[in-house]
Amino acid sequence: MLNLNNLSKVYRTDEVETVALNTVNIGIEQGEFVAIMGPSGCGKSTLLNVIGMLDRPSEGEYLFMGEDVAGYGESRLSEIRKQNIGFIFQNFNLIDELSVRENIELALLYHDINARERKRRIEQVMDKVGIAHRAKHRPSQLSGGQQQRVAVARAVVGDQSLILADEPTGNLDSVHGQEVMEMLQSLNDEGTTIAMVTHSSAHADYARRTINLFDGHVVTQSLRAA
Amino acid sequence: MYSNYVKLALRNMGKNRLYAFINITGLAIGLAVFLFGSILAGYERDHDSMFSQRDRIFTAGSVFAPDADIGVLETDSIYTAMAPLLRNESSDIEAIARTVTREFLISVGDNNDSYYQTVSFADPELTQIFDFKYLYGDASAIDSPNGIILSESIAQKFFGRSDVVGEVLTLDHEHDLRVTAVIENIPEDSHFNSSIIQDRGDRIFAPLVRLGPMQGDFKFDEDWGNLSMGDMTYMLLPADKDQQWLSDEVNAVFQRHAPEGQQDFIPSLRVRPLVEANTMIWDAMGVPAIDTIRLLGLLVLIIACVNYTNLATAQSLGRAREVGLRKTFGAGQRQLLVQFLVESLTTAVIAMLLAVACMELLIPAFNQWAGKLVSLDYLAIAPFLIVTTCAVGVLAGAYPAYLITRSSPIDSLKNTMLKGNRGNLFRSVMIGTQFAISIFMLASVLVMYYQNQEVEKSSNIFPKSNIVILERVQVDEIAQRHETLRQQLMAIPGVENASYSSQVPFQQSNSSSTVTRDKGDDSAVVTLNNVAIDEGFLETYDIPLLGGRTLSRDIANDINSEEAEQVNVLINQLGVESLGFESGQAALGQSFFSQRDEESEDPIKQYTIVGLVPDQNFLGLHNKIKPMTFILSPDWLRVASVRVEGTNLSQTLQDIERVWKEVNPDYPIQQRFLDDVFADIYTIFQTMNKVLAGFAMVALSLALIGLFGLAAFMAERRTREIGIRKVLGARVDQIVRLLVWQFSIPVLWSLLVAMPAAYAASGMYLNFFSERIMMLPLIIALASVMGLVTAWLIVAGHAVKIATASPIQSLRYE
Repeated sequence: MLNLNNLSKVYRTDEVETVALNTVNIGIEQGEFVAIMGPSGCGKSTLLNVIGMLDRPSEGEYLFMGEDVAGYGESRLSEIRKQNIGFIFQNFNLIDELSVRENIELALLYHDINARERKRRIEQVMDKVGIAHRAKHRPSQLSGGQQQRVAVARAVVGDQSLILADEPTGNLDSVHGQEVMEMLQSLNDEGTTIAMVTHSSAHADYARRTINLFDGHVVTQSLRAA
Repeated sequence: MYSNYVKLALRNMGKNRLYAFINITGLAIGLAVFLFGSILAGYERDHDSMFSQRDRIFTAGSVFAPDADIGVLETDSIYTAMAPLLRNESSDIEAIARTVTREFLISVGDNNDSYYQTVSFADPELTQIFDFKYLYGDASAIDSPNGIILSESIAQKFFGRSDVVGEVLTLDHEHDLRVTAVIENIPEDSHFNSSIIQDRGDRIFAPLVRLGPMQGDFKFDEDWGNLSMGDMTYMLLPADKDQQWLSDEVNAVFQRHAPEGQQDFIPSLRVRPLVEANTMIWDAMGVPAIDTIRLLGLLVLIIACVNYTNLATAQSLGRAREVGLRKTFGAGQRQLLVQFLVESLTTAVIAMLLAVACMELLIPAFNQWAGKLVSLDYLAIAPFLIVTTCAVGVLAGAYPAYLITRSSPIDSLKNTMLKGNRGNLFRSVMIGTQFAISIFMLASVLVMYYQNQEVEKSSNIFPKSNIVILERVQVDEIAQRHETLRQQLMAIPGVENASYSSQVPFQQSNSSSTVTRDKGDDSAVVTLNNVAIDEGFLETYDIPLLGGRTLSRDIANDINSEEAEQVNVLINQLGVESLGFESGQAALGQSFFSQRDEESEDPIKQYTIVGLVPDQNFLGLHNKIKPMTFILSPDWLRVASVRVEGTNLSQTLQDIERVWKEVNPDYPIQQRFLDDVFADIYTIFQTMNKVLAGFAMVALSLALIGLFGLAAFMAERRTREIGIRKVLGARVDQIVRLLVWQFSIPVLWSLLVAMPAAYAASGMYLNFFSERIMMLPLIIALASVMGLVTAWLIVAGHAVKIATASPIQSLRYE
């Protein structure tokens, strides 16, 4: 599905130059479930952002579905992103002024989908993540687990083939964390590719492959025994 | 504690430099405009304080009947016949003095330097009413009929020194007057030097008794026919009498003595205190210019205050945590209110200091440009400055202070306010207010502009760029040589025509007479404006003949004189209608008659219509088209009009000057283009338009600066939301539209207020003109679109920057 070849990301401020990713080579296949692990500051989130085209690499090649997107501008990246990639964040990133339904709808608003179809899809996805009874509530009225389920619903409502999850369970207790992981597992079973950053090795076990990062390098890649 | 607050306020400004800059400059500009407007209005309203008896001096003017249609509502003069009557019948008036201003060519001895100069012919009591500062001579200076008072600048101009008592000045090479006093120049802030008067500072006072004999034995004491703006009648009252008393006296005398027809024309006289003399011109025109300037200044200040309130409201939300902490440590709401008010007051004080600094730079420049003496008298305006500063600080700061301090400490700490929509409605209303004011002003400016264009355009019925006016040709010596001058002018290559008349188009002079259709029928009196012309006038001015024939010198009855009992006239369509003839053709050959005047022994004159001319706005500008007659009256010709070709103009002008010198060696030529005559009044409209445009520009700029600040702030607050939307695939234009729309709604609402208001206000201005622009709604719509589009551009400019940023930067903002 995607390949990163000799990819680097350097952050420059006036005084300091920070190498967040250092000649990384990674490939992710269609239908894979990959966990990305490593200590704080090792570049996990940067890697995920680059994969999600939220951030652009400083050097190297990024092939997405066979296309080198490394040099693309924001508007073309935005187009690819919206067709293919869904995001889940540790802090949910829901918009407080909008209801649950509207938050999910947001992901469809920027596609060319009519209102009836949007409604159908939203109903469907809300049932799937078990949040339908909370459709009219504001995010601030929901528990963390519920908020993350809304976020998951939002990430998949557009039929995205790749889900990028940045510590999706980081703000949740173990029970709710478990729930979210099972939801991701079932999405993966249905064929969605998932890349997830996590601190929890238990949760990393849901993935088929784990990539370990340290100081911007890929240290090891291990496959889980099937 | 307060110094602590001030320190905190200053630190906060340092932290948010962009917003502090917008706040302070905005307020400073608003305050500067407001101060300037107020100081200028105060200055114009407080003239003549150099005269110690100012508060006991009154003037009388004439109020015209509403249907008089002479372009002004009232004038500052009354008939000169009034003063002697008042002197006789109202003995309580301490002193009465008229002034009648005329222009003369003044020379000294055989010296060749002579200048045209206006001379104020006054009754001797003038020096009792006004205590001029005498450098030489004293207040008895014009008691003798040969005396003359010069201002110092005039003495310097003619003699090169001030000590000139006993010297002789000659008026029009004929009338000698001996200098009996020299006075200090009257300061600029006197009505003697008000903006409409030329030759400011230069003053010559001569005895009024001398003027009559100079002008064909004219009896000023019996004149019920002439009113000239600026010819005043001053009255000095004893301390125990007031304006109302004088008004009653003056009107009673007027009712008793004024001829019947005049009371229809002038239903009443208006007495004003001297202090109003400087600004009465605006009342006369029906344009409340001074109040408008003050109001516009206030509107601009309101916009500036709203900017502050809006930004402060938005910003204060970001300080909720600070407030929560303070509350947690025991601060009461009152203390917090005080803290936030101290902050807004600090801003207001800084802005006021800047505004005053602006004034220091602006006022001297303005004085130089406008020839005024506006001054910043800090002692006098200190209370005003302090009150304004406090009002601005408190009014602008009250709402944000209230909003931020009313929430519970735990809410503040949690910063939940950041997430709510609190203050959104208020901000929208405020933005709406600003744009309503700005768009209202903008629309008014545009309406004025297009109306002025219309006035300019309609003035082109006369070839005003191709006509050179030669003035003062009624002086006897020149009048004797009219024919010679005309022939020599016509001989100049480049001169197409030359003609004499009593007045030229656009001169604001209503010379009229009352006539009746049937002889001696006083029940149906019609007022006709009349212009004295010569044979070549119609041709010179391209005035077509619609029927009948033109007037000719070769036909005895075509020529008017004092004694003529029957005279032929040209009349316009409106004149035909007002006399009640069925049509122009039907009127040809018919007659009408001058109204019988019981007091005079003049016989009734018969006028016979021999030719028809179209209805043209002869007075132009703001006047209505009037019923008019043209008559060949050789005795009344005052102006020569020389029609020139456009080519080789400078040579033609030189030739005209040369010819004039040959024919009239004793009188310097006074020439100008008809364009300039038009501009005399037109400049007033243009200046009003420019001044209003200036205010509108400042208002709109302030509103836009405020909108920019607010848009920047709101975009910053919505960074995360924008990031999320972008992650979900929103395109740049979708984000921009989202941000722009947020601010479009209040601007759109503001149109609902601004458009009708502009429509009403424009109506007031348009009422002033007879030919009005038709597409008023279109112009107002244009102003609205301009306001809306600039608002969009300002917001969109910033929104694009935010929307094109990489989404991760938006999200990382957290």
